[in-house]
Amino acid sequence: MRRFFRIYRILAAQNLKRVMEYKADFLTGAVSFLIDQAVGIAFIFIIFSQIPQLSGFTFEQIVFIYGFSQIPKGLDHLLADNLWCVGYFIVRKGDFDKYLTRPINPLFHVIAETFQVDAIGELVVGISLMIYVSGSVNLYITPLSVILFLIAIPFAALIYTAIKIATAALAFWIKSSGFVIQMVYGMNEFAKYPTTIYSLPVRLLVTYIIPFAFAGYYPALYILTGNDPLFNIGGTVLISLIFMAIATFIWHKGLSAYESAGS
Amino acid sequence: MNKIRKQYLPFARAGIQTLIAYRMNFLGFVIGGLIYCFVMYYLWKAVFLSSGGSTFMGFSMTDMVLYLFLSNMTSQLTFSSVSTDIGEEIRDGSIVMRMIKPVNTDMSYLFTELGGAFMKLIVFGLPVILGLETYRFAVSGTVMFDPLNFLLYFVSASLAYLISFRVNLCFGFVAFYVKNLWGIGILKNSIIGFLSGTLIPLAFMPDILRIILEYMPFASMSYTPVMLYMGKYEPTEILLRISLQLVWAVLIYGLSKLIWAGAVKRLSVQGG
Repeated sequence: MRRFFRIYRILAAQNLKRVMEYKADFLTGAVSFLIDQAVGIAFIFIIFSQIPQLSGFTFEQIVFIYGFSQIPKGLDHLLADNLWCVGYFIVRKGDFDKYLTRPINPLFHVIAETFQVDAIGELVVGISLMIYVSGSVNLYITPLSVILFLIAIPFAALIYTAIKIATAALAFWIKSSGFVIQMVYGMNEFAKYPTTIYSLPVRLLVTYIIPFAFAGYYPALYILTGNDPLFNIGGTVLISLIFMAIATFIWHKGLSAYESAGS
Repeated sequence: MNKIRKQYLPFARAGIQTLIAYRMNFLGFVIGGLIYCFVMYYLWKAVFLSSGGSTFMGFSMTDMVLYLFLSNMTSQLTFSSVSTDIGEEIRDGSIVMRMIKPVNTDMSYLFTELGGAFMKLIVFGLPVILGLETYRFAVSGTVMFDPLNFLLYFVSASLAYLISFRVNLCFGFVAFYVKNLWGIGILKNSIIGFLSGTLIPLAFMPDILRIILEYMPFASMSYTPVMLYMGKYEPTEILLRISLQLVWAVLIYGLSKLIWAGAVKRLSVQGG
């Protein structure tokens, strides 16, 4: 375990050196994600200029849910961005061999290799939005609820990572799975809004099959209302562990099916 | 004319072949776009329910569905990957292979893209329009399809395509200065998505903002054709909007030429 941390620290430091080298690139990345977020907020703002509440949620509550949903997304983006590259080109170009020849777990190595600072954009916006509206929404704050809420965050981020691992691993069979990651990952859009606005099949889909609702709406709902911690928080933890187990299973199956590609 | 056909048709064919070779990636983007449309669909449905009225700022729910899918489809059709392509070629130096050929560099890009756009129209554009018209028929009970509006849409969307191509070309030239093409891509997509009305119809925006945005080139890239298809404009406004697109097409063309002339002097290719 300590060895993993040490390796991670060294790799992350390498990444930060690269960031310092190309400051303009880092700024472009962070500013891009920041503007992307600003556009999302403008959208909610314009809708609410016409209606007082949406499916029983106030403007501030919707902003809170939106803001919270960006935190697990940003954490995963920060720590596990390299999985996209596995799906898009690392396997296709035959570069994956590199990970197999090193004396560390390939999955850990892939994830540790990139420390994607662009994600600062999402994290900053998410946290600022939550702080900004925290005065005007009635949060359910008790020592226990805060602890439960904080516990949910890493697990919520793990849902993103698990989904990316599972879809990226398909590249071991089909060489390039970037489009699958893109498709499934795109469903995180559903996590930004209350699931009550969706029809039942869609709600079941984003709760149990591609469970992004647990990576945004449900934990946020808990801290907003204090309702049903077993489902909102327990569900997040349980679902993320189940999906992580499935994802690593698929990854290991894929590794044993992997044949080097490229020239 | 014959010369153009002989010189550039192979580029178009290559564009079609690239799309077919990477069809799964293309499919991923299409399905991703549809998922996004459905999220927005539910969101708007909730908005309509919460507002209590049957129309929201002049749009009925049927209008909204039409708008969502059409604008998403139009922006996919007019989407141009030339910004990343040219960026990659600048970065790895393969752009010189284009420059030493006896063809116009940006025309060769344009024809490669046109090949892809043609395929997208057939396998994606037409089915979406068919689906939407079926939906409109099912909701209203009458055939709502208007050939004239469709024709206007086609003309306007073609202009939108040319504008979008040039705007993307300009973004691609940023690669001369910045290396984070991924970030530039996100920046470009969110700016265009918002300013072109793909995310929220410009008609919903506060008046001052709406008027400014309607005159900017981004509205010409998907909003104008979509509104034409929906028959939302009076005859005089139709003329105004299409002429505006023409003006932007010319201006952006000039701008991209200017940037290219300036940027190409900075081009330094390492290795080969």
